[in-house]
Amino acid sequence: MSFGPYLFLAFLEGTVTAFVLALTALGLSLVFGVMRIVNVAHGEFFMLGAVLAWYCSTLLEGSPLAGFALALLLAPLAVGALALASDWLILRRVNYNPESTIVATIGLLYIVQQLVLTFYGPEARPVAAPVYFRVSFPWFGYSGYKLIVAGLAAALLLATWYAMSRTRLGLYMRATQQDLEIAQAFGVPVRRVYATVFALGAMLAAVAGVLIVPVQQAHYLMGLDPLLLSFIVVIIGGLGSLKGTVVAAFLIGISDGMISVFFSPTLAKILATLLVAAVLVFRPGGLFGDNRA
Amino acid sequence: MTTGPEDGGAPRRRLGRVVALHLAIVAALFLAQFLLPAYHYTNVARIMVLATFAIGYNVLFGYTGLMSLGHAMFFAAGMYATGLSVYYFEVTAVPALALGVLAGAVVAALFGLVALRTSGVSFLIVTLMFAQALYLTILYFNEITFGDQGFTLSRALAPLNVAGTAVPFSEPALKYNGAWLVVSLALLVSAALAASPIGRVLVAVRENEERTRLLGYNTFAYKLLALVVSGAIAAASGAAYALLFSYVGATFGSILYSIYPLLWTLLGGAGTTLGPLVGTGVMYYLIDVTSGWTSAYLFVVGGSLLALVLWFPLGIMGAVRARWLRWLP
Amino acid sequence: MTALLSTRGLSKRFGGLLAVDEVSLDLPRGGVRAIIGPNGAGKTTLVSLISGRFPASAGQILFKGRDITRQRPWHRARAGIVYTFQVTSVYASLSCFENVALAAQRRLARGALGQLWLDERALQARVAEVLAQVGLAGAGAQRADALPYGHQRLLEVAMSLALEPEVLILDEPTQGLAQAEIAALSERVREISAQVTVLLIEHNMAVVLDLAQVVTVMDRGRVIAEGAPAEIERDAQVQRAYLGGRC
Repeated sequence: MSFGPYLFLAFLEGTVTAFVLALTALGLSLVFGVMRIVNVAHGEFFMLGAVLAWYCSTLLEGSPLAGFALALLLAPLAVGALALASDWLILRRVNYNPESTIVATIGLLYIVQQLVLTFYGPEARPVAAPVYFRVSFPWFGYSGYKLIVAGLAAALLLATWYAMSRTRLGLYMRATQQDLEIAQAFGVPVRRVYATVFALGAMLAAVAGVLIVPVQQAHYLMGLDPLLLSFIVVIIGGLGSLKGTVVAAFLIGISDGMISVFFSPTLAKILATLLVAAVLVFRPGGLFGDNRA
Repeated sequence: MTTGPEDGGAPRRRLGRVVALHLAIVAALFLAQFLLPAYHYTNVARIMVLATFAIGYNVLFGYTGLMSLGHAMFFAAGMYATGLSVYYFEVTAVPALALGVLAGAVVAALFGLVALRTSGVSFLIVTLMFAQALYLTILYFNEITFGDQGFTLSRALAPLNVAGTAVPFSEPALKYNGAWLVVSLALLVSAALAASPIGRVLVAVRENEERTRLLGYNTFAYKLLALVVSGAIAAASGAAYALLFSYVGATFGSILYSIYPLLWTLLGGAGTTLGPLVGTGVMYYLIDVTSGWTSAYLFVVGGSLLALVLWFPLGIMGAVRARWLRWLP
Repeated sequence: MTALLSTRGLSKRFGGLLAVDEVSLDLPRGGVRAIIGPNGAGKTTLVSLISGRFPASAGQILFKGRDITRQRPWHRARAGIVYTFQVTSVYASLSCFENVALAAQRRLARGALGQLWLDERALQARVAEVLAQVGLAGAGAQRADALPYGHQRLLEVAMSLALEPEVLILDEPTQGLAQAEIAALSERVREISAQVTVLLIEHNMAVVLDLAQVVTVMDRGRVIAEGAPAEIERDAQVQRAYLGGRC
């Protein structure tokens, strides 16, 4: 394959990565934007989504499509429930104090990781894609499922945007993000909004995990890379800016995907870190951010 | 979550007590080697080296109020600078250690110049990412660093010249006393810093940075100083580990080794000079004991962090200071 | 006689809002200058520009003849321009001693070595002296947030004094104080103004009339009047701006 088509292939890979990253990072960004806390265990929600998807595929051995559908339903619900429990038992207790939340979610991260290690094991296990077809380009065949992933992720992103701008919950979320005290004064049920947002953020990550697991494999340590990439995305996009998150996700996702194809994933991560350094030197608030950290 | 109130009265008397206490601890650690049974002997040596790491972390986190999730990068910088120089160039122990400390200081300074432009959560995330980038770089240059597998120094490391005799690094007494020397220096340096005018400014930066600026302090410079000292001490720990336990490996650059000093410091009491030492010791034995029945030590790590933040935010020495000994630095 | 502190056409814009609009004032050495005006007039913003809390959008600030417009806040504090916060900004969880010591050591620590070690006795003496000066003698060991509010304001003033200011900016120091405390604070300010030039933002007209030699009136970012307290009190424009005078 000559360079042009190879570049196109890399671009496709990058786009798929970008969509999934956008979904994951959006969850993190929403939580930070509305609740002003960082959930270090966010990557573990992603990992749980993937692991639960594997579990669903074993339940419905015969039909990967059914397994996938079940996973899309079950994983977000289960992970959302875990998020709600964490919010109720832990986050509320520390009153959403930023530093305490970080330490607490690190604790949560290790507990979840160990649980998965104990019950699922240290191996990486593959999950069959729900549908298998190849899209034929003149130079190569590309996995149709990956394109579906991109499509589904795009749909979810749009749905989230719609929810944020058109629904009452979205209004509550934006109000709480703008000014907590005034939102409370206007009767916005802040505690419930917080719990909902935390659960939604977790669910977005879980869905991203379900979508990507046929492409990668389910492994108990797979949450780390999405976490770090999401962090890079929210720093570059600007903490608290949803538009910035999506734009940065595409910037990072596409370049990460492309560099991974041409060179190596390791190098891609190192370069992303250097990019963050550059952004910090010239624009400490991120590309769109208001630097409310 | 960090410290309790500082004692305001009669600083002179307080200083005397503080000095006496720290010297007593240092002496006790030295004497312990004659009383400890063999099993605990090497353990305590290891604890002392790792406690140095926590002491360095505490300078930045406990005193200056900057939480870092990337201190493994300083530990690894020290470990690899020392380890590689011994392995490839057969540098002797003391210059290698100095090289390690220097590496940590340089990494911290360069990192700080970039990262200190952010604050709070952004700073935290940046520390995490840079540490991970360093970890990946170590893995990337596998042929030189031997990646995760690591390498030992036993062949390349020349015995130490102690008052005319050549003592090999395999000698347990050298391990213990080398560790003791490193942790004692770190402890005294951090205590001196905490009691100095600089220490006062660091605490002020932690409590209210803007106010401190308007009192005439260049807070960026102070934060950078704290970061460099913190990085240098952490690197000293890494360098000492490489020399005394003869192992250099990429695991020490991984995220878990950035979480450990946070855990040890929180457990022992952030913002206290003795807290990191106590916390490292307690956690080490906690994991040691529980690994008798289960290999799920991550539960202990995760559970401890949760328990600390929910019910015991002051940590051991923090609680001691708040309840009984208000003059503890 | 050149002024100690001058501003020339000083302006500050926050997005669409022009908070300070071409303010030029001259502050001679000594005495008390009061700045009054309705809420939102830009008084705190003006002194924040002078002390360096944030940079100006336009204009100049001159101190002792030198242009300090670009100088960082900590340099200005060291040079002698000291700002006392409108909202009490002491280090709540530290003791009063530590609060004042932090300011005092700035002056006592000379050079790089002074940062590492300080003569504790000299520091102690200086802190005790400053605390006594504001009427908080003996409060050293107490936690700052254990003090009643009025005393916390005094602690703030003590911290500013410990920096040996040439220009002391007091931003609404009597806010939230009881009558007796206001009287005590006014006395202190009068004593201080014998050696230090005081720039006083106040809403309490009685205090202004009592302490100030010259009053500058601001409204909507501009200076609308300047003169002796008695004439300002009678000025029609000022009365209109204030809608009756007292806040």
